[in-house]
Amino acid sequence: MLSISADTVVVPLASEDDAATTANALSAAIDAEGRVVLLHVIEKAGGAPDKASVEQREDRAAEIFAVARDHLSGDRTIETEVRYGTDVADTIASAAEALDADLIAFSPREAGRLTRLLTGDTSLSLLTGSPVPMVVLPEAGE
Amino acid sequence: MSADEELAKDLGPLAALTIGIGTMIGAGIFVLPGPAVADAGSLVGAAFVIGGAVALLTAFSVAELGTAMPKSGGMYYYVNHALGPLFGSIAGWGNWLGLAFASAFYMIGFGAYVSAFLALPAVDLGLVSFSSAQLWGLIGGSFFVGVNYVGAKETGRLQNVIVIILLVILTAFTLAGIVNAEPSSLTPIEDAWVGELLPVTAIVFVSYLGFGQIASVGEEIKNPGRNLPLAILGSVLVVTIMYALLMAVMLAAVPVELVADNKTAAVDAAKNMMEPFGLAAVGGAVVLFGALLATASSANASILASSRINFAMGRDRIVSTQLNEIHDRFATPYRSIALTGALILVFIAIGGVEPLATAGSVLHLIIFALINVSVIVMRTADPPEYEPSFHVPFYPIIPLMGIVCSLALIGFMAPTIIALSVGFVVFAGLWYLLYARSHATKQGVLGQFIQERSDAFPDAAVDAADSVQPEGDEFRVFVPVSNPRTETDLISIASAMARSRGGTVDAAHVVQVPDQTTLQAGADHVADLSAESDRLLQQAREDAETFDVDLETHTILSHRAFEEVFDAARRHEADLVVMGWSPDHPGRAESRMEELTHDLPCDFLILRDRGWDPSRVLLPTAGGPDSDLSADLARVLQTEYDSEITLLHALNDGETEAEGQAFIDDWATEHELGGVTTMVAGEPPRDAIVGAAADHTLLLLGATERGLLSRLVTDSIHVDVVDDVDCSVLLAERAHSRTLRERLFGRD
Repeated sequence: MLSISADTVVVPLASEDDAATTANALSAAIDAEGRVVLLHVIEKAGGAPDKASVEQREDRAAEIFAVARDHLSGDRTIETEVRYGTDVADTIASAAEALDADLIAFSPREAGRLTRLLTGDTSLSLLTGSPVPMVVLPEAGE
Repeated sequence: MSADEELAKDLGPLAALTIGIGTMIGAGIFVLPGPAVADAGSLVGAAFVIGGAVALLTAFSVAELGTAMPKSGGMYYYVNHALGPLFGSIAGWGNWLGLAFASAFYMIGFGAYVSAFLALPAVDLGLVSFSSAQLWGLIGGSFFVGVNYVGAKETGRLQNVIVIILLVILTAFTLAGIVNAEPSSLTPIEDAWVGELLPVTAIVFVSYLGFGQIASVGEEIKNPGRNLPLAILGSVLVVTIMYALLMAVMLAAVPVELVADNKTAAVDAAKNMMEPFGLAAVGGAVVLFGALLATASSANASILASSRINFAMGRDRIVSTQLNEIHDRFATPYRSIALTGALILVFIAIGGVEPLATAGSVLHLIIFALINVSVIVMRTADPPEYEPSFHVPFYPIIPLMGIVCSLALIGFMAPTIIALSVGFVVFAGLWYLLYARSHATKQGVLGQFIQERSDAFPDAAVDAADSVQPEGDEFRVFVPVSNPRTETDLISIASAMARSRGGTVDAAHVVQVPDQTTLQAGADHVADLSAESDRLLQQAREDAETFDVDLETHTILSHRAFEEVFDAARRHEADLVVMGWSPDHPGRAESRMEELTHDLPCDFLILRDRGWDPSRVLLPTAGGPDSDLSADLARVLQTEYDSEITLLHALNDGETEAEGQAFIDDWATEHELGGVTTMVAGEPPRDAIVGAAADHTLLLLGATERGLLSRLVTDSIHVDVVDDVDCSVLLAERAHSRTLRERLFGRD
């Protein structure tokens, strides 16, 4: 299969399930050399109370990273990054620029129409607003 | 604080203020005038002023505690921190259930206003019957719980708009009232009503619970030192003034009979006032709209706040952390919200306006009393990290008045509500003793303060403080591993010790990163190390499994591997550290070594490994606390390895052999060591030990004086015994007694 290599890959992770799926897919698709930056964005309400405590979601970010590490194969250099922002897609894009990413790799999450309506379609806004090349990871066949 | 952490705090002063006002403004003005006026007539404005004044006393204390500890969970957190988990359980459950009662109350009020234009037929199910207000309350309650469950972030921003609209509507209402006012209708105060004033205050007090919600999101407030007190005190003042004015004006403008016992009094009063202008319908509609917004925003803010309290309680293990699981997709604490939602719906179904209002109030009044006690405890104990930027004025008068007034107000409530509050405190106390005590990890400042000064306090107080201490501090053994050769031995010793006390082992691979390499760069190479880590820690897991002991593993990067062991032991709240040592240990070169090892954070067992064989163990003893640890270890070795134990006592000057034998027999009995061989030696201790060690496979050496470990690793004085024997040596050194400050903050 086609194998992709990049010096720095930014990998946005939304949840623990997403972390496992994405890390498996990434291990299969992207060469092991280079730096992998696991990124979790904590969505802020922007001037109103958030839906969950910031500290609670920082704890969750740590769990998400741990799951991803467990599922990443090969000798990769792994870094983690937590960012805060009102728009998840924008925050991923600006983090990728700040981290000198060559690539953003992500697994689109399946979502029903209602969920998209309620939570927004981050995948789509990310695809249309990314400052660096993007790879949409297929689900890894284990 | 980094720029990015700043981003995490995005609530400005106005947003914080509107959380308080938005929660408080719904109840008092739209739901309560009916029942309150029925009881107290024109005096109801005074009841609101008294309620506001009582709330303000506690608001000062919340503001002070909030600036010192801007943490998620607010009032619960302060009480738990200051008074410990027993009172923390009362405050946490009280805050949680109090918000659920209050939310149910807001929702019934909401239902009453919806029913004003769209009544549902009452439903009678035989056992239970629901009025139209309750049915709409159930529908509304389900909706707002649902909104918080999926976490639409727009609702938060909507809150600011809602509060502004409400303030505009209420100001217009007040102005319309002033135009219509006939002050004469206020003057006749019937004596009977004066006696009703405080009971009515107790009912309307539910209007002033909202300032606590500002504290519960304290971690998100920008510049909390300034904005938190501003928002808390500001919202109580704004709401009190608004209520008092509105009540006075409303009752001056419309007949008292129109308001009394009227569930939608505000709408009817508005219609009445706008009648002269021919705008009765418009006035009624605007106020109805306001009433719906107000009750909805109060309930919404309360549901949100309750999940913060759940999180904070889970963080201290007063409730299961399972409750605080975050939803995979919505990123909301969905379990907590669903449970709170279920409680709210049950309360709507079984409760009426007044019982729910007073139930919500009574639980908050208990917390308010505890909050004021907490300020006094924090000021008295004055731990160094307590640095509030806002101070309660006229301390201690205001907090003392806060305690007295909050508790006194409970006295004016209905007997059933007082009984409920007593039952609640008993429940929360039992919850702590029967469930939370074995889980809770955090001791309060008060308990530490009393234990540290046990001489200065009456024995009864010290015993009481001791008897309610949390036990969740399970026995933890921390094992730094770096060398695969000694790993199994260390884990075996640690697991055996942990198993004997039902504890857990923390195994950490401590990786030393050269000074020239930044930790970040070190982390970059962690991939190389991770294979080694994985191997070591996997082996550790297997070794611990043979002992059937829980094992947690960590990898720690540090420039100072040895120092890191001390820091990690503190972080993991270890009770015992089991570590290997050899003369070429990297710790020898580290500068803070002396300081660290003179101040052990917990008990230490140090293995000088020359091949692990615990079959014949020599335990020299001269008594003393460090030999207690050796005795514990000897018992564990007997159980786990069937070790033969020899106790050796070297005679002191002038001690006869018989006395020495008596000493060692007593010592063995005292430490419950049976089936041991005893030896009494006349030579100096060092020679006696070296001589006897020749026949043994393991030497257990208790530190006979402070700083043995320090001397061992810094090599400042040669600990020759360790090098003069051929067998493995296990050195035991007890934790040094720590000061309050060290126990609180790890180290000073």
